[in-house]
Amino acid sequence: MTTKRIISAVLGIIAGLLVAVVFFADFNKAGENAAGDIKSKAEKVYVPYGELDEYYMMSSGGHSGQLFVYGIPSMRKIRTVPIFTPDPATGYGYSKETKEMLGGFTWGDFHHPAISETAGDYDGEFLFANDVGNNRVAAVDLSTFTTVDIMSLPNMGGPHAGVFVTENTEYIALPTRFARPLDNKYADLDKYEEEYKGVVSMTTFDKETKKFDLAYQIVLPPWSYDLSDAGKKMSGDWIVMTTYNSEFATTNLEINASQNDRDYIVLVNWKKLEEEVAAGNYHDVNGAKMIDPRDHKGAIYAVPVAKSPHGVDVTPDGTRYIAAGKLAPMMTVFSFEQTFEAIEKEDFTDEKYGIPVLSYESVMEREVDPPGALGPLHTQFDDKGNAYNTMFISSEIVKWHIETGEVIDRTPSYYSPGHSAAAEGDTVSPDGKWLVSLNKISKDNFLSVGPSHPESMDLIDISGEKMEHIMAVPVDPEPHYAQIVHRDKINTITVYEKDENRENSVWKQEDARVERKGDEVHVYGIAMRSRFIFDAQSDRPDAVTVKEGDRVFFHLTNIDLDQDITHGFGINEYDLNFEVQPGQTSTLEFVADKAGVYPIYCTNFCSALHQEMSGYLLVEPK
Amino acid sequence: MKKNLSNASVISLITAAIITVSTLFVPWWGMKFYAPQYPEGLDIIVYPSTLAGDIDIVNSLNHYIGMALFSNESFPELQWMPYIVLAFVVLILIVALLRRKSFLYGLIALFVIGGIIGIWDMYRWLKEFGTNLDPMAPIELEPFIPPIIGENTIANFVTHSYFSFGGYLLVLVFILLVFPLWKDRAK
Repeated sequence: MTTKRIISAVLGIIAGLLVAVVFFADFNKAGENAAGDIKSKAEKVYVPYGELDEYYMMSSGGHSGQLFVYGIPSMRKIRTVPIFTPDPATGYGYSKETKEMLGGFTWGDFHHPAISETAGDYDGEFLFANDVGNNRVAAVDLSTFTTVDIMSLPNMGGPHAGVFVTENTEYIALPTRFARPLDNKYADLDKYEEEYKGVVSMTTFDKETKKFDLAYQIVLPPWSYDLSDAGKKMSGDWIVMTTYNSEFATTNLEINASQNDRDYIVLVNWKKLEEEVAAGNYHDVNGAKMIDPRDHKGAIYAVPVAKSPHGVDVTPDGTRYIAAGKLAPMMTVFSFEQTFEAIEKEDFTDEKYGIPVLSYESVMEREVDPPGALGPLHTQFDDKGNAYNTMFISSEIVKWHIETGEVIDRTPSYYSPGHSAAAEGDTVSPDGKWLVSLNKISKDNFLSVGPSHPESMDLIDISGEKMEHIMAVPVDPEPHYAQIVHRDKINTITVYEKDENRENSVWKQEDARVERKGDEVHVYGIAMRSRFIFDAQSDRPDAVTVKEGDRVFFHLTNIDLDQDITHGFGINEYDLNFEVQPGQTSTLEFVADKAGVYPIYCTNFCSALHQEMSGYLLVEPK
Repeated sequence: MKKNLSNASVISLITAAIITVSTLFVPWWGMKFYAPQYPEGLDIIVYPSTLAGDIDIVNSLNHYIGMALFSNESFPELQWMPYIVLAFVVLILIVALLRRKSFLYGLIALFVIGGIIGIWDMYRWLKEFGTNLDPMAPIELEPFIPPIIGENTIANFVTHSYFSFGGYLLVLVFILLVFPLWKDRAK
């Protein structure tokens, strides 16, 4: 009896355990592996406090007109640098110098950053930016991460295919996207083929004076120039550009510009054009030295390419150029060696719009068409002879070998990548460590912020045979292209040099003064922890009195030569704010058109007594 | 004239003179300030003729507590210190030339008195700067006297005061001045 009870009790417990195990036990050990996997991914991007990222990523901010600076591999955003857009936080577009530089525009459409190069490698000195929206080019000084010059380009129609730099930054080139009549003329769209032109601006930049100059412009058929690159080493004298709209469509481009089975890669020998311009062989058009490469033998050729190509990228060794198909979903590898040979032999199939067309079969080395991969846009490179292509439509990155065309690996990106950027990926010596896929859409990847989803940047480890997706981070609209440069190449300053001869600068408290010239009032003032001194002689050195209608100039020098002691300068109700960095002198110019009393205060936290750093602008009524 | 210093003693004195001259080119004394926002430290370095280091930054911070400005002008000693040093060098050379032990006693006495006055002068300045704070200063602090050597904490700043190369070289000079007394002691 007792034995039976015990047996049934034991059996009952065993049955219960069995049921529990069947229902609740987790036989799927994959969970544990996934956790381990996540940990190793986290370790790859973890940069402990006190240590620094290995790379800077300079990411274009698209129509925000700004540069976004990230650290790689942490993917931490370090700074937003205003280029084409005013920025009250830094006073960009408010100070006299920056306001003049922006020239009345309040935005730009920045697509493709280009870091200055020496011998085909980033030298880390300057970064150039194109403005597709308003036909401009800008330079950012990478010692201060501030915009130092902006130049407007005549005769252009949206320089989308720029900017890219030649091997030694001889030129910063910007080809147009939209054809337009030259010289701001009016011409009916029915006269598109005759009157409209594509233009490439060849600008130079003087590193000493930090100023652009427009060396010359190249006039081209009214095709749409989409993307471009400069040759390297053996191909150093050449630039390559993709075009679409060889149909000369003027409306509904998506259909009308996609009819021809072939579009072109245009090759231009800039060295030859440079010589011709120097010899005076150009026309002056709206202040630009305009040269037609068709007038000069050997200056321009076209290579047929599957329709509507997007990116064209020159390999690190300079021997090949690779077109990404977009609408014809494959990558085409062209050989510069074969191209030069075909040019030598005049192996032309045709002439389009006066441009010799090279035979596709003669210059094409191979076509790479991974099955199911759709919408290739851009090519980046590693240090082992591999290429990486973003596939917009099939949302993936494809790794393949340039020499063999063999597809090595494919990895999904999290929704529709546009560009990608590899570490030093378009120099003569890519590092082959990281690739960032710049995604146009990030649906559902992050906390919702309403109908406008953030875009995404996905970090991919490309150091091994297989690519490994590591993480995704949101980004403000809208990154187009980025360049990833090793931190050792960037040499920033921490304070501006104390230059006692600098115009409008004041370095001693007792020299702070107010000077009136007619109806102009010039304040030569200083900002220091934790006060303003505008007029050392006055009972109230931090107050300035002007008359209604006066043009007021605040020339402000930050005399705190101590790192990170930035002073701001905001004027209540005057919609004005700017800042001066340690050792910097900046000028704020405005018309005191409102009578009254307006508090002035330091807007950038500067010290324990920052709140005490204030004064008054008194505007006496007329 | 009775010459009672040996050749070795004369060499010792000439060496002392050379070292004394060399102290003109190296710092004698310094202070280093550390705070959370200045982990790398701020320096005040005192050469016999000038102040160096992060003087402007220290001044801008001292402004909070109402301390007077540091500058070469605020220490008149710095203007004539090099002449005192050079005059002492001349005296050493004269003693070396005349080789008179009694003169050497005088020289050592002068050196000791000079050293004491120098240290007293430094203390005077430290006291002057630390206790004579502007009553209008935004941050009110108890008056304080930083040590000539050692550590001190004021608000969020930890200061280290120390003698530098010049100071140590002067100690060496003293040893070289005293050396003849031992070398040429009465047997």
